[in-house]
Amino acid sequence: MATPEQSVTERAEGPAEPSANSEPALKLTFEVKNLSVWYGEKRAIDDVTFNIASNAVTAIIGPSGCGKSTFLRALNRMHELVPKTRMEGTVLLHGEDLYSKTVDPAIVRRRVGMVFQKSNPFPTMTIGENVIVGLRLNGVRNQKFLNERLEKSLRMSALWDEVKDDLHKPGTSLSGGQQQRLCIARALAVEPEVILMDEPCSALDPIATAKIEELISELKAQYTIVTVTHNMQQAGRISDYTAFLYLGRLIEFGQTTTIFTNPSDRQTEDYITGRFG
Amino acid sequence: MVTPKHILGTFDEALASLRNNVLMMSSLTERSLERAMKGLFDRDDDICAHAIADDEEIDQLEIQIDKDGVAILLRFQPVASDLRRVVAAMKLSSNLERMADQATTIARRARKLNQHPPLHEVELIKPLYDQAMSMFKDSVDAFVREDVDLGRAIVPRDEKLDDLNRVASRKLIDRMAKDPGQLRGYLNLIFIGRCLERVGDHATNIAEDAVYAAAAEDIRHQTAAAAV
Repeated sequence: MATPEQSVTERAEGPAEPSANSEPALKLTFEVKNLSVWYGEKRAIDDVTFNIASNAVTAIIGPSGCGKSTFLRALNRMHELVPKTRMEGTVLLHGEDLYSKTVDPAIVRRRVGMVFQKSNPFPTMTIGENVIVGLRLNGVRNQKFLNERLEKSLRMSALWDEVKDDLHKPGTSLSGGQQQRLCIARALAVEPEVILMDEPCSALDPIATAKIEELISELKAQYTIVTVTHNMQQAGRISDYTAFLYLGRLIEFGQTTTIFTNPSDRQTEDYITGRFG
Repeated sequence: MVTPKHILGTFDEALASLRNNVLMMSSLTERSLERAMKGLFDRDDDICAHAIADDEEIDQLEIQIDKDGVAILLRFQPVASDLRRVVAAMKLSSNLERMADQATTIARRARKLNQHPPLHEVELIKPLYDQAMSMFKDSVDAFVREDVDLGRAIVPRDEKLDDLNRVASRKLIDRMAKDPGQLRGYLNLIFIGRCLERVGDHATNIAEDAVYAAAAEDIRHQTAAAAV
């Protein structure tokens, strides 16, 4: 099985020769091969190939309009909610083709949860209802099970201690940072395999941002996390791997420490050092 | 390759200012070393006093470079080559300050030697001085020009300097045995040789930092690592 780095090598230099001395291969969650996505006539993602390691944080960086969010959404077929989209290539989740005709997009989105830029708790629901709404929509009615999953999800999102006595209050009564962690709890409640985050801290203050970053570091022990961020320092702090996209193409992918100390591509260097355009 | 301008002009200005201070510090350190050695060879106490006085300005520049470097890290959070340049500049200033300290020590030892009749064994120090200064100048050149090959080539030259110092020390110890009346003088020359050997060590550090800044390659302790 290819490692994330090997996929870049393959992209740049063709398939790497198997090596008897190579380190044990990383476990992969996603294998993205030659992915292209169009919105109508506009090609938002252009022939992107790389692998996403399990139990690691992968950051997608790049200037506005480079296709970061589209790439993220292609990982759980959420881009299909936009009319006139089409895709080419393959996205394998644990070896299974997400775009196979037999795969239900709703099931994909349950397996691959998503947290958005702006926290979006359901305004008419309480804090507790917001967390378990996904399970209810999936037909779970066992209240004991729901209560257990409610507490577990809120604990995992580091919110339980702050809201355990206020579960009946509206989700919108929480602060921005708490609402974002509530959305993470909501994503965790359905026990996904992957969590996608689209600029999860861009609307938060530094303290709330730090709490989300700490949470991301804790969650990667159990989940594969892919996050889009415009904040280079945040990408440097929280991610293990970084992919740089530009004009829909993957320019560079590698270990975050390498990308941020010695990127191999001039465009990556210019972008992360603030010399782009 | 020419680095394109940063979107923030203030960043380019801050980096240029940091770099200029490093260059100024390196010029002053070079002058201080030259003055200390001239004071030794010409038996001139006034020049030695100038070398000692130079140290204050160099110390102040070290403080300024640290302050500016920390301010850049805080304000701009540089990454990639920018980060390496800032880190290397801060490390360079520390090595330059220690080199200047060696110049001060040499000048002080020279003044002590000047109080006594001349020793022709001072000639034993000249090859060390030439070697140490050429390493110093080349290491700063490697940093300024981001010349990886030049930086890499300096590291093995430190072994030659160590050998020269060993040879000179051995000869001076022989003289001490033969002429105990000049023991303090020979001892001062041995210490000056050791100072120049330390200058070579700092030049090596600067060369290693120059390679890191230019190519993100850490070439420190490679001989030791290979031996393990």
